[in-house]
Amino acid sequence: MIRLPPVPGEWIDRSTVVPFTFEGKTYQGYAGDTISSALLGAGEKVLGRSFKYHRARGVLSLANHDVNAVCQWGDRPNVRADVTQLQANMNLTAVNTFGGLDSDKARILGTFARFMPVGFYYKAFHSKLLFPLWERMFRGMTGLGKVSFDTPHIRTPKRYDFCDVLVIGAGASGLVAALTAAEQGAEVTLIDENNRAGGSGGYALGAEASRMEQMTEQLNKVLAHPRIRLLTNTYAAGYYTDHWIALVCSDVLIKMRAKSVVVATGGYEQPAVFRNNDLPGIMLASAAQRLLYRYAVRPMQRAVVLTANQDGYRAALDLSAQGVEVVAVVDLRPDHLDGEPEQRVIALGIRVLSGYRIIEALPGAKGKSVAGARVGNGKSESETLPCDGIVMSVGWAPAANLLYQAGTRMRYTQSLEQFVPDILPPGVFACGRVNGVHTLSARRLDGQRAGSAAAAHAGFGDIREIVIPAETECPTHPWPIVAHPQGKNFVDFDEDLQLKDFENAVQEGFDNIELLKRFSTVGMGPSQGKHSNMNALRILAKLTGKEPQEVGTTTSRPFFHPVPMSLLGGRGFSPERRTPMHSRHTAFGAEWMMAGVWQRPEYYRRAGKDRLQCIQDEAVAVRQNVGLIDVGTLGKLEVIGPQAAELLERVYISNYANLKVGMTRYAVMCDESGVVVDDGVVGRLAEDHFYFTTTTSGAATIYRELSRLNTMWQLDCGIVNHTGSFAAVNLAGPQSRALLSRLTPLDLSAAAFPYLALREGVVAGIPARLMRVGFVGEWGYEIHVPANQGCAIWDALIAAGKEFDLRPFGVEAQRLLRLEKGHIIIGQDTDGLTNPFDVGLEWALKMNKPFFIGQRSLRVIDRQTRKQKLVGFILDAQFNSSVPQECHLVIDRGEIAGRVTSIAWSATLGCHIGLAFVRPELAEANTTINIRLTDRTTVSAKIARTPFYDPDNLKQKEPA
Amino acid sequence: MKSPSPLSPIHDVLLAKASAWSDSDSLPPSVRKFDARDPQKATLLGVADLSHLPRTGAKGAGAAGWLADLGLPLPSRPNSWLALPDGGLISRLGRTEYLIESNPTLVAQIMQTPRSPGVYPVLRQDAAFALCGSRVNELLLQTCNVDFRCLAADPEQLVLTSMAGVSILVLATGDKIHPVFRLWCDGTYGPYLWETLTGIAEELGGGGIGLDALP
Repeated sequence: MIRLPPVPGEWIDRSTVVPFTFEGKTYQGYAGDTISSALLGAGEKVLGRSFKYHRARGVLSLANHDVNAVCQWGDRPNVRADVTQLQANMNLTAVNTFGGLDSDKARILGTFARFMPVGFYYKAFHSKLLFPLWERMFRGMTGLGKVSFDTPHIRTPKRYDFCDVLVIGAGASGLVAALTAAEQGAEVTLIDENNRAGGSGGYALGAEASRMEQMTEQLNKVLAHPRIRLLTNTYAAGYYTDHWIALVCSDVLIKMRAKSVVVATGGYEQPAVFRNNDLPGIMLASAAQRLLYRYAVRPMQRAVVLTANQDGYRAALDLSAQGVEVVAVVDLRPDHLDGEPEQRVIALGIRVLSGYRIIEALPGAKGKSVAGARVGNGKSESETLPCDGIVMSVGWAPAANLLYQAGTRMRYTQSLEQFVPDILPPGVFACGRVNGVHTLSARRLDGQRAGSAAAAHAGFGDIREIVIPAETECPTHPWPIVAHPQGKNFVDFDEDLQLKDFENAVQEGFDNIELLKRFSTVGMGPSQGKHSNMNALRILAKLTGKEPQEVGTTTSRPFFHPVPMSLLGGRGFSPERRTPMHSRHTAFGAEWMMAGVWQRPEYYRRAGKDRLQCIQDEAVAVRQNVGLIDVGTLGKLEVIGPQAAELLERVYISNYANLKVGMTRYAVMCDESGVVVDDGVVGRLAEDHFYFTTTTSGAATIYRELSRLNTMWQLDCGIVNHTGSFAAVNLAGPQSRALLSRLTPLDLSAAAFPYLALREGVVAGIPARLMRVGFVGEWGYEIHVPANQGCAIWDALIAAGKEFDLRPFGVEAQRLLRLEKGHIIIGQDTDGLTNPFDVGLEWALKMNKPFFIGQRSLRVIDRQTRKQKLVGFILDAQFNSSVPQECHLVIDRGEIAGRVTSIAWSATLGCHIGLAFVRPELAEANTTINIRLTDRTTVSAKIARTPFYDPDNLKQKEPA
Repeated sequence: MKSPSPLSPIHDVLLAKASAWSDSDSLPPSVRKFDARDPQKATLLGVADLSHLPRTGAKGAGAAGWLADLGLPLPSRPNSWLALPDGGLISRLGRTEYLIESNPTLVAQIMQTPRSPGVYPVLRQDAAFALCGSRVNELLLQTCNVDFRCLAADPEQLVLTSMAGVSILVLATGDKIHPVFRLWCDGTYGPYLWETLTGIAEELGGGGIGLDALP
């Protein structure tokens, strides 16, 4: 039996048997098992295939980075077998196999290893000609699991959270840190990535029950403490500014803001590098101990323990206590202080080989198991130790990813052979193994120190002065690496990188850690270098004759641990604005489009008509009759006060001081460099009161900028943003006046309410502001009312409009109508470099004003030669081929000479019309220009004067 | 011509789900009840629309004096609020900006009072909601990055922040154990914010509630 009799503290529930299938075969595990522990408990040692050579692989860490033991579970790819809880009736297959795990055909790749040297990808992709071939091949060969595009979108929530002290890691030091901080009065959140808290206190026992008892006692105190919140199955995946930590739970992503943070993340146990160190049955000591005590699984019958610290001796004691025959403890160190665990190992009669190393692991049948370990000390003849498992305990790398992200300066300490925090940022504290403290009692003291300091930083209590005793042994071996002429001594298990790959990479000149990483791909696999980066660093240091500190580490970016797509792609917020008449548009069959954050009707659907027909019909209705468009999305600002006009004089390019009360004027805004950034209409309600509009997308920005400028200028006026507070419609067309007269007592005669006038009055019983505008080129009124009366004004106009065949029109018809009139749209007919001279707005420029934003730049620009001009163009009326699109290029003698900014079919004019930027020499009327289409054919067009429609503006005048 | 009745910015969103409406002459229609689960939802996590309440605003250096002359008490510091004696509240949104939400008479009086120098009237057409129930904090955590424990410590404080991507003003009323959070946003964001908040509330066992169930 692989499964042990009940073990104190085990995580499995033997009363609940869990059936599942793996690779088509049925197994049984227990509730509380992970997939890996259940398979091992059932006698399966081979859990997956390696990424490159498809070698058989088993458990390595059992700590969330066994990247070769990854499964496909239905539509879920990349299920990590070492940490995923077993569930009833799981149907699992190993990923990255061709023909199944047992007889993976791709294992033949191992024999072609010498044809796939380090940097193979770089070299393969060097030739552009062969790129497509390699790409197809690699896409076919690589990938971990299959993505199903039918998988339903799981809207997992994201949430914020807050605490005084966040303690990351609920091991020995983390538990004490949390308790200490809470006792000082702080609200503490303690997280741990495991299913249960306690860390190595629950499995690295050295056959001493007292270790687990101490851990349990601490844990019970934590659970009982009213100011501590414990979150298990939760890991911190990224650190951001101001102690903002991304916490990944099983079904939610938490953005935790803490006043201070204790990083008690421990260390990643590191593998030794020797030939065949990847065979199933070879694992880290901590993995073997987890199997023993959490899942009551005996990982092997006869073990060789390779070590370089007392942790390895404790692992040997644990194995022995659970019935594993420990053949020998192979200690890499020739000389060392023999600690208490080592003495107990010797007392048990276990053979200790000091100064020895494992030269190679001997494979069992088909490389699916271990048959023995060949060991030697470099002096005497090597010796073979028969075994079915090798346990490695040669050192630790600090789990310092979050510390790096927080901006911690780390230094390499030779007495520990480890990077430790040198200078921590304010509010960040480290304790335990990540802080270079390895002895259990010292880790607890370190937790007390860090917890107290973190609480004090958050404003709770005073810092306790605690002295941490120095380590009595170096916990990590500086060179746990053994070269072998036949290779297969793996450094990176994600990418199947061997020792010789690093030698070759350095030989090719990639002798910097960042270059080496990218060329070799070390640390770029799913485990992100947790078990490979330190060994890679040591190898590079040795090959380049540097110290580890000089080599440095690669950047640890968030997220340093994979985060499920279901969490990243969970619920997102996409704010949208709706005008008050939204439901009315829906009722009229609006086809919606987003205009910035606004929902706007693009056009209104009509039975039997396609999109273009609907748009054309709407435009024709405005030209011939009357149309109604919702323009509530326009920015609507007010400036009030004695110096209101002065503010407008400074921010717009035209004059407003001389604007009469009751009149409006077109307004163009430039930035400091003279680039056109916005336009609208300014209306004067009183001497000290202006009401003005901005573009739909510009409202918030313009309001912010005007507020900023006024704060700076300290003018005696105030700005109010009424964009959302007013609903607005544009009633336009030859019949608009007649229609409106049914609803308002205002005198609408041309004399009383002329073109560009502004009036306040009542429309359909609703107080309104009315502007006579001509954006679409017809007699029309912009009517602004309080937003809560938006539906009422719409309904009233629609009801009164029946008599006039009033037709609502959408954004696309409006674009066409204004194009016929030659009016530009900022952002469509302008770009980030367009000045008023480019788009024919010289008439609006009042350069004789004392000052306006952009004036100085425009003076300079005015002296320069023009580079482009916005002009109108038309296609031949008989043109019936592919029509140019916006952004198609104007080509002159093989060179780019401009681009199309707007184009549309005008039923009124009977031809395609458009606006385009062209070089000034092409801007003369009747000049022929060539527009290149996407398929590289060209279309000829003729420059035409604008406005295309009603050039004399007769539509705004009373008929004679 | 009689002025038509104004509507809440989310009136059309509520229309399909509400089962009973208020019929006040002086106020826009508001939802009294959605369904029989309203009381239960209010206990767990309720979202109510209070957009119908009359409100107005004023800003500018002269606003404080102007409002004081109208007999209104003024919050002493920015980002704080006071309950008004005749019901409703006055909020100070910045150094010189105020929001008043009260009975129709008072609000109409303020709106009809001519502005004096340094007073810039603000037409308030907000969507206004109330959040209540034992799981209200979970809703806040899922939509807003403010630690609302600060409101429990300082009941007169109000917070200008962003919720689900929308700029809002929020304050807490009620007792510390069972707070009712009041929030205001630009009315054009109202339908989006209502749908977002009630969608999450429904996931958490609550949802939209009528005024009859609001504590």
